[in-house]
Amino acid sequence: MVAALALYPFVYALLVASPLGTEAETLLPRVDTMVGVFYFGLFAMSFDFVSGYTGYLSFGHAIFYGTGAYFVVLAANGQVPLLAPGTPFMLMLLLAGLLAVAIALAIGALSFRLSGVYFAMITLGFAQVAYVFVRGWDYVSENPKDGAAVSTDVHPDGFDVGIPWIDALNLEIGRLTGDTVEFLFVSLSGTEVSYYMVGLVVLVCYLAMQRLIHSPFGTVLLAIRENEERAEAVGYEPFQFKLAAFAISGFFAAVAGGLSGGYGRSVAPDSSMYFLVTGDALLASIIGGFGTLAGPLYGRLFDETVREFLSKRGSGGGLLPYLRDHLPASVIEADLVGGLTVGGAIETFLNGHASLYVGVIFVLFVLYVPNGLLGTVRDRLGGTVAKQLPDYLDRYRRD
Amino acid sequence: MSLLELDGVETYYGESHILEGVDLEIEEGEVVALMGRNGVGKTTTLRSILQLTPPREGSIRYRGEELVGKETHEVADAGVGWIPEDRRMFSQLTVEENVRIAVPKGSDVEAGLELAWDAFPDLEEIRDRDAGDLSGGQQQMLAIARGLVGENDLLLVDEPSEGLAPLIVEAVHDALEAVAGETTILLVEQNLPMALDLADRFYVLDHGVVVDSGDADEVSTDSERLRRHLSA
Repeated sequence: MVAALALYPFVYALLVASPLGTEAETLLPRVDTMVGVFYFGLFAMSFDFVSGYTGYLSFGHAIFYGTGAYFVVLAANGQVPLLAPGTPFMLMLLLAGLLAVAIALAIGALSFRLSGVYFAMITLGFAQVAYVFVRGWDYVSENPKDGAAVSTDVHPDGFDVGIPWIDALNLEIGRLTGDTVEFLFVSLSGTEVSYYMVGLVVLVCYLAMQRLIHSPFGTVLLAIRENEERAEAVGYEPFQFKLAAFAISGFFAAVAGGLSGGYGRSVAPDSSMYFLVTGDALLASIIGGFGTLAGPLYGRLFDETVREFLSKRGSGGGLLPYLRDHLPASVIEADLVGGLTVGGAIETFLNGHASLYVGVIFVLFVLYVPNGLLGTVRDRLGGTVAKQLPDYLDRYRRD
Repeated sequence: MSLLELDGVETYYGESHILEGVDLEIEEGEVVALMGRNGVGKTTTLRSILQLTPPREGSIRYRGEELVGKETHEVADAGVGWIPEDRRMFSQLTVEENVRIAVPKGSDVEAGLELAWDAFPDLEEIRDRDAGDLSGGQQQMLAIARGLVGENDLLLVDEPSEGLAPLIVEAVHDALEAVAGETTILLVEQNLPMALDLADRFYVLDHGVVVDSGDADEVSTDSERLRRHLSA
């Protein structure tokens, strides 16, 4: 899968340049969208790390994502005490993660005294308090309700991803400020460089979380999820393990938020701290597969692909502009029923309704694919894809 | 000093008064059977010892140390193991992971696995299977293996033969007999022949109090004595 993702920008560019370019643009997510899939997918994975592996739904997880995003933007603007605007981005991500760990320990110490819906509600409560706070915190910007942007005066360059303080091992990310790369016959735009660099950070974070899940620590988390009482009777203190998982997931959520702030060079309370941000992570986890770690990334990819396909953007991509551009005028103007034309029906049912259809898909997933995309594939294969797929294909070849 | 002493233990579920003053003693190395009809408080006694359902009154001393007020994981760390009634495997973990997780912190995990595989060679063959996919007999073997590697000084075993085929019950009996050589056991068991064969002493519970106790040999030849307490 990593190889497929590594080739995606090239495949996308080839397909878009082919005779089927319009269809490819309509069906496939743009590289820019994929950058968002990566950092939000990391956030969704961090949500799954605690919620999917301990069974405690962290409904206020956006507080950590928002912490990361705000920290990076404020640090870049020189608004974080003791931190110069030129602080390496990777160091900013690390510090944002550590700040989130401290917040997670404080919230978790109180919240893990509760369970079930009460835990979900108390974590949601903490996140909403933070959301209301940043919306009114005029230290952030003149209009904190709209968030803050990285000042081009204070921090004109893009954010470096790589090894701090070694220029040759860094590339800048950002929609407009990212580096471009020309190497032999390969030419990468700023967005494509961001795709690879953000993807690299997400991959490292994923591997770290995966390593933890497959360690004895992860085994205890699974035991707690399955039977907390029994795990305690074996000698493990569930509170400590849950708190540690919460802090670790907070760290990676903040890194995801930091990547979002660094790539977009801005942060807004509604897209970082609001409870619907956690809702999107939950959606990605359920579609991708709860308790699968990688599944939420695929869930986010699925979610974003569907949203983009059903989006109302007028230039490139999306079903609505595709139909507008490609259906003959005689079909568009044809009367369907009661004066409603085909064109009118397309506008009525497709324009601005992406969330509605995503909601329907979500309901269908809950009802018919309860284990999510990756969970279902693993069930069919009888284990993780990496372990089982070669055997499965081998059997298929022999048959 | 007894290994475990229960003195006037009173335990409630909400307002329901389940244990109404249980007194019980277990010496190191003994196998003690705790018997009684359904619903008289046998499992609650085990849960009270583990502090999963802490008593409101009374004292539970383990090696002279008070357990009431401690956390369950502290009781486990002190050396009290539990093989619960429904076996409660971690069904999404493999057989091997189930054994690994039972090895106490700081102990040699590989040595623990070796101990488990030596005692139950069949488990080694299915070490990579999810515990949830095992048969009832295999699950019970795994539960006992976990008790074995837990380096417990006292093992609380709850209804190990429940729901198992006679042939498997025999295997469970043999497994427990092997464990009994290493560990003190408090055994809750409805299968009287098995319980009395394994046990050195017995207690009978009725309505939350101990109504009879003695050497297992005494009642093995006096079946009327137990029947008085155990028949419905």
